[in-house]
Amino acid sequence: MHFFELAEPASLQEAIGLLGDSGGRPVAGGTAVMLMMKTGVFQPERLVSLRKIESQYSQIRLDSEGNLRLGAMTPLRRIERSADVAAVAPVVTAAMRRLSNVRVRNVATLGGHLAHGDPHLDLPPVLIALNASLVVASPSGERTMPVEDLFRGYLETALAPDELIAEVIVPANPDQRAAYLKHTTRSAEDWPALGIAVALTLNGGTVETARVAIGAATDTPRRLTSVETMLIGNPHNDAVLQTTGDATAGEAEVHSDARGSAAYKRELIRVFTARAIRQAVEGDRA
Amino acid sequence: MSGHRRTITFTLNGRDVAADIGVHQNLTEVLQESFGLFGARESCGQGLCGCCTVLVDGQAVTSCLSLAAFADGSTIDTIEGLADGDTLSPEQEAFIETGAFQCGYCTPGFILMTKQLLDENPEPSDEEIMHYLSGNLCRCGAYAEIVKAVRLAGQKRKA
Repeated sequence: MHFFELAEPASLQEAIGLLGDSGGRPVAGGTAVMLMMKTGVFQPERLVSLRKIESQYSQIRLDSEGNLRLGAMTPLRRIERSADVAAVAPVVTAAMRRLSNVRVRNVATLGGHLAHGDPHLDLPPVLIALNASLVVASPSGERTMPVEDLFRGYLETALAPDELIAEVIVPANPDQRAAYLKHTTRSAEDWPALGIAVALTLNGGTVETARVAIGAATDTPRRLTSVETMLIGNPHNDAVLQTTGDATAGEAEVHSDARGSAAYKRELIRVFTARAIRQAVEGDRA
Repeated sequence: MSGHRRTITFTLNGRDVAADIGVHQNLTEVLQESFGLFGARESCGQGLCGCCTVLVDGQAVTSCLSLAAFADGSTIDTIEGLADGDTLSPEQEAFIETGAFQCGYCTPGFILMTKQLLDENPEPSDEEIMHYLSGNLCRCGAYAEIVKAVRLAGQKRKA
């Protein structure tokens, strides 16, 4: 690997001061950064490690309204094993089972997973479906943004060079049901050809609210708003699910790659949209 | 401290050690070059195969994707530290007795993952074993024997 310098600030504020015009690039768990540096696509002169910032940024807690608050430096494995996460957002716990492997989850952080901006990762669609938001810290203070606004392009986010994700907030919604499905085409541990997350609430046999988000098949994780519109106010029967699946065909721009042709991925989206909705409706509350 | 080199200190297989490292070096390289420990070896280089598994502060990590600089102040256990003198660990014995390898290249990673699995879950089901070890690849295909080895290691640890 190329030579670089490594700074290890002891606070979030100090870390932010070393980014942006100061020339540093942040590293948390380091999994994605190491992969990019090994292949030479990322050659920073100076890395700013976030591993020694205040421990509050690697904690999981419930706020007074019962919302889940996850520090951005929390390793994915701790999120996977958290009783609070399993209570408020069991779909997140379930998604971890097929997210990379135990060793990577031991090290990779939630903030890095999101800030990487890679559309193939699992939690972006899940958190978008759950209507989660981010607390973003910068030299001028903090701002909040919905997770769905983070992704701007392939490996491109809405974060300024001197901004860091500090916290992820998953709103409590006890009546919500959710599901996440992913499909890999080459081997089980491969990057998915499609990831799809659904979160909805029901009123009797009718869908009251719905959020549907996909990743992997598209340049950025994104909502399928046409599907949401077709679901809301309708019964979740087979006829409606068939129509909603068909409605996905035109909405998302998908590309051919080693994991499947664009036509194949459009078919995946059509089929998995209905499957994910059905799983959310029929599964345990999630 | 900035610059391209630094000295790190850590506990390696129970011994306090120091190493002069390049900041760009990964932990697999430092274990090999500074300490002559070749049990963890880089194979896929991407975190998929598990051949470079070591335990850092008791947690399995992909050492070829870990900056050695991050090991400063930590406790690292490698396959070389698992036996007590000439007495093999229950996991090592179990892999030998079930013949859970052919070439042996991936075995250190599988054994360390087995140790961590059994630390977390002393009686895993076959499904739990296969799921936990899904991030380790054995190109000789000894998977059926490896699952048996994990079960046997669990029994040996209880005995």
